[in-house]
Amino acid sequence: MNCELKPKDRIGTINPIFTCQPCGAQYASIGIEDCIGIVHGGQGCVMFVRLLISQHLKESFEIASSSVHEDGAVFGALDRVEEAVDVLLMRYPNVKVVPIITTCSTEVIGDDVDGVVTKLQDELLSVKYPDREVHLIPIHTPSFVGSMVTGYDVAVRDFVKYFSKKDKPSFKLNLITGWVNPGDVKELKHLLAEMQVDATVLFEIESFDSPLMPDKSAVSHGSTTIQDLVGTADAQGTIALNRYEGGQAAKWLQTRWDVPAIIGPTPIGIRNTDTFLRNVKEMTGKPIPESLVRERGIAIDAITDLAHMFLADKRVAIYGNPDLVIGLAEFCLDLEMKPKLLLLGDENAGYADDPRIAALKENVDYPMEIVTNADLFELEDRIKNGLELDLILGHSKGRFVAIDNNIPMLRVGFPTYDRAGMYRHPVVGYAGATWLAEQMANVIFTDMEYKKNKEWILNVW
Amino acid sequence: MATRKVAIYGKGGIGKSTTTQNTAAALAYYHDKNVFIHGCDPKADSTRLILGGKPQDTVMDTLRTLGAEKVTLDKVVKTGFKEIRCVESGGPEPGVGCAGRGVITAIDLMEANKAYTDDLDFIFFDVLGDVVCGGFAMPIRDGKAQEVYIVASGEMMAIYAANNICKGLVKYAKQSGVRLGGIICNSRKVDGEREFLEEFTSAIGTKMIHFVPRDNIVQKAEFNKKTVTEFDPEACQAQEYKQLGAAIADNTDFVIPKPLSMDELEKMVVKYGLMD
Repeated sequence: MNCELKPKDRIGTINPIFTCQPCGAQYASIGIEDCIGIVHGGQGCVMFVRLLISQHLKESFEIASSSVHEDGAVFGALDRVEEAVDVLLMRYPNVKVVPIITTCSTEVIGDDVDGVVTKLQDELLSVKYPDREVHLIPIHTPSFVGSMVTGYDVAVRDFVKYFSKKDKPSFKLNLITGWVNPGDVKELKHLLAEMQVDATVLFEIESFDSPLMPDKSAVSHGSTTIQDLVGTADAQGTIALNRYEGGQAAKWLQTRWDVPAIIGPTPIGIRNTDTFLRNVKEMTGKPIPESLVRERGIAIDAITDLAHMFLADKRVAIYGNPDLVIGLAEFCLDLEMKPKLLLLGDENAGYADDPRIAALKENVDYPMEIVTNADLFELEDRIKNGLELDLILGHSKGRFVAIDNNIPMLRVGFPTYDRAGMYRHPVVGYAGATWLAEQMANVIFTDMEYKKNKEWILNVW
Repeated sequence: MATRKVAIYGKGGIGKSTTTQNTAAALAYYHDKNVFIHGCDPKADSTRLILGGKPQDTVMDTLRTLGAEKVTLDKVVKTGFKEIRCVESGGPEPGVGCAGRGVITAIDLMEANKAYTDDLDFIFFDVLGDVVCGGFAMPIRDGKAQEVYIVASGEMMAIYAANNICKGLVKYAKQSGVRLGGIICNSRKVDGEREFLEEFTSAIGTKMIHFVPRDNIVQKAEFNKKTVTEFDPEACQAQEYKQLGAAIADNTDFVIPKPLSMDELEKMVVKYGLMD
């Protein structure tokens, strides 16, 4: 077998690829309308995560901290949650949804967040805010379990679990996007609109590409509503694009409310977008319109201009969120490129059963490694010890590996903050395929010029 | 009937594990109940009488050596006397790590693996000592044990501990609906024991659900790695546990306790402590 899936064999982590579970829960929370999450833990659990998300989206938004200190760690910190909920509700009269996101410290000291929610409902909410719709949702995301990816997955599941309620069947489709950018949401909505499919998008973060308006309002909010979440139980089906970011919610909706679920594939590249559209067609009965066939044609035309001449045989390393990495690897293979090394920042027992990884193992005809529990030092170390690469695909935390080793790099994934406007461009759908192929080509072109490596070809291309 | 989830608390060394196992055995043997014991003590000694001394791999040891995904019921749940199912949380050695977190993780894992099946009549959580931290309150959180029994004796420190545990219960009573079912007296043969406990229990608003007399057969059975019920079902002591089992099975008095202030407690202790 040419392709191997194995954990990193070095002990310890140097320059991690992921941060921890609460980050994922926070990224999911910002997609909900009238929602401000309270992260129950030390302030850093919000401060650094909020900084990352803010750097990535170049927007400002609200997340609160219960701000646990030494006394809270000793005496239990549930009083901080009670106070935080009260202050938040007083200060933000429109807030309706308050996920209470736990962290390592508060999980270790055993703070009973579910219990305090019951107590707050009986005491604070019914006494001080009797006429106000408020939903307090405990989300357990200790940092020492899983990664930011599982944190996202857990949060989506818990939101759906909390709100979904059967009423009467609707013709809507649940689209669980996974951890994506505003540009991706826009593209996905475009594809569905072309197919005339009415979908509930979890979560609607398109609005995080926000305008700066004459009234100087500059704070971004998600736009998935409570009604959207309630209605997920009545949908005619769920498509979760990312197996590890929303897959659990899709499974839960299927088990609890008999909503049929299709999980994956992440619609990166032509092949996966085709599958996605076929899945939508199968679930809704709506045909794939001519307009999308044309868009597909445009994407293929763009790719044809590049693939054989510039992209073929280019050796690539890809790191980041598993669904993204696998999707990008599949697309690279379709472009005749050679993904040599895939780095996943956590160890998920599910990776071994992933049909996409099985397919890679089956079909790849050159040596390729998929390393779990990987870090960015793994990438650097391999490059220093002979791994030859033509391109790196990954988020900004790996920029120094690319810079120090003179390897061109396309920024993709979370967080991406050292290139302008990346969140605006989709990597999914036909538009995403076009954009990815062209951007990969462009960074390679820049590299050719910089290194004076056959850059004259570009004169005659 | 729905499964009754019961947590047993009490001062260290008071005989929680012995009482729990003997009561569980009596419920299974005399009352034909389907019982599960979840030991929540890092020492992992809550199930040896049921399992006949068979060593049991704890949830935490399995987690440490194999990883969370590999913790399955066939690895950690053992069946002993009268089909009583047993699991031990386990935990760190003294002085290191966080035993409380171990309790939380172990219960989470058991729930994720659906260990607490609907056919059970009773689940007993046998919990270490006082409710010393948030982790040891895990068994009485929302959706878990609804009733608590505290094992105590006529000794002053046992009463102190019982009163303290009641303070913890009051906190959780609001959040999770947990209630106190009563105090089990595990007699130490101290003077005026029954009267002391009766006064204490009525002062905090509950009752002494059973007075288990001291009998050497308990130790004898323990040396034989058995509960009294299994060792000698005809023994008087076995009948005591049978009665305790019945009292718990038939119990309908569930209260939020009213723990005493230190002053009140001291007065009571002085009253019985100086009795001759």
